[in-house]
Amino acid sequence: MNINALPEEKRIKLDRMRYTKNSLSSSLTYLAILFDVLYFVSIYESDVGSWYYKIMIGASVVYNLLFMLITFLSSEGVKNYKMGYGFTLIVMGALQIGRIFFLPMEALDATVTIKKINCPVMEQSQFVYVCVMLCLSALCAILAGVIAVVRTKKLSDYNRALASETK
Amino acid sequence: MANISMQNLNKVYDNKVQAVFDFNLEVKDGELIVLVGPSGCGKSTTLRMIAGLEDITQGRLLLNGKDITQSPAKDRDMAMVFQNYALYGHMTVYENMAFSLTLRKEDPNVIHKKVLAAAEILGLTDQLNKKPKQLSGGQRQRVAMGRAIVRNPQVFLFDEPLSNLDAKLRGATRREILLLHKRMNATMLYVTHDQTEALTLADRIVCMSMGHVQQIGTPIELYDSPANLFVASFIGLPPMNFFDVVIEKGEAKSGLFTLKLTEDERRALSAYEGKTVVLGVRPENIQEGGEVIVNVSVNENLGMNTLVHGTLSDEKTHITCKLRGWCEYDKGDRVGVTFVKRHFFDKNTTNAIR
Repeated sequence: MNINALPEEKRIKLDRMRYTKNSLSSSLTYLAILFDVLYFVSIYESDVGSWYYKIMIGASVVYNLLFMLITFLSSEGVKNYKMGYGFTLIVMGALQIGRIFFLPMEALDATVTIKKINCPVMEQSQFVYVCVMLCLSALCAILAGVIAVVRTKKLSDYNRALASETK
Repeated sequence: MANISMQNLNKVYDNKVQAVFDFNLEVKDGELIVLVGPSGCGKSTTLRMIAGLEDITQGRLLLNGKDITQSPAKDRDMAMVFQNYALYGHMTVYENMAFSLTLRKEDPNVIHKKVLAAAEILGLTDQLNKKPKQLSGGQRQRVAMGRAIVRNPQVFLFDEPLSNLDAKLRGATRREILLLHKRMNATMLYVTHDQTEALTLADRIVCMSMGHVQQIGTPIELYDSPANLFVASFIGLPPMNFFDVVIEKGEAKSGLFTLKLTEDERRALSAYEGKTVVLGVRPENIQEGGEVIVNVSVNENLGMNTLVHGTLSDEKTHITCKLRGWCEYDKGDRVGVTFVKRHFFDKNTTNAIR
């Protein structure tokens, strides 16, 4: 990167990154956590006949905790332009998409018999809601990760160019 | 360009305590004015009135001819630096300095330029990513000054900015403020109770006591020609020695010594013939060799000078002499001294007699 060849506005924008945090990625990561929470607090709303009470509910809870922990730590990482955390967020975002095919999809097709009546475990409207929440969470996480990777790359290139210029 | 005019400023608090009485001052553009006085003399209150942090009970405050007496602090275009820095602990130096401009929604690129320029002036470029807790007291105070500089205000107000620093750092930061003032040529008002800061920094000093202005003048005017006993005793370290003397036939007599008055002194004291006045002598205006006898009690060597504390021949009247060179007097030694330069004050009004 040739710093002197850059337009002034772009150069200042890059230079600003040396002193300012990547708050856009960080905020998007918090949004990803928020949408995940909205998903999680509504997924068990349709606890018809305790359909969910099996071993996978434990796994679901543990994964959700892990998601929130890793994503929160990553938010701090991307805020300080750490490349690795950007990739972590992209992976976590992709996994959120994968979650659609786990509990929500299974619950949508499932029925339980209560007093000889077949009841669907999850209504269509609830299914749409939880899917949207997971998709939004995934989108935010992936976006945060991509922005973090791009910005971190730009900043490290700029810093390298600055260092070589001062030599 | 920033001229400030303070016209009969008065401050009376809700509990009827009057903190400032008829404060009048014209501050010229680029001038550094130091308000000095003991604690509770009203200097900080005056500064806060100028900043808009205290209501002005009576009087007018003009900035470049515009009446800003009732204007809120945010509209006065003045930046204040506080004793306790008032930095945001969770923000970096950069963010602290940029904060006020961010609130004003200025262009981030413009903010960046201003912050870097201020950091360059204050030597903070390498500290921009640090949090205040990682900085020394002097550096924190520089950040506080940087926060004021980026705003490019018309007037800088400093409220005892060096009081939290140790003696060595205080001296260094004082010099930085002086350099900053020379470089920016900004109008500054600076409050301190430290006379050394006042004498070294000020273009003009305003000496205050009990809410009243005692004297306004250049540092040398306050030191050489104090207007009254208060200024004479407050300015100068160690403080001035005072003795009651009676003026008689061209002489000043105290019962312990007799001084022959000069022509100028005789003329000034002509109305005081037979009356008692106060004689003031600075310790540094006392020389060894003379007919005033000092009974030494303590001898303090300062390297270039020696402070000799003692009493006159009545063994009650205290005197401090700052003698040149390295002297080694023991307790009880008797030293003859001369008063080289003398000040006389009216005993009733406490005003200087000139």
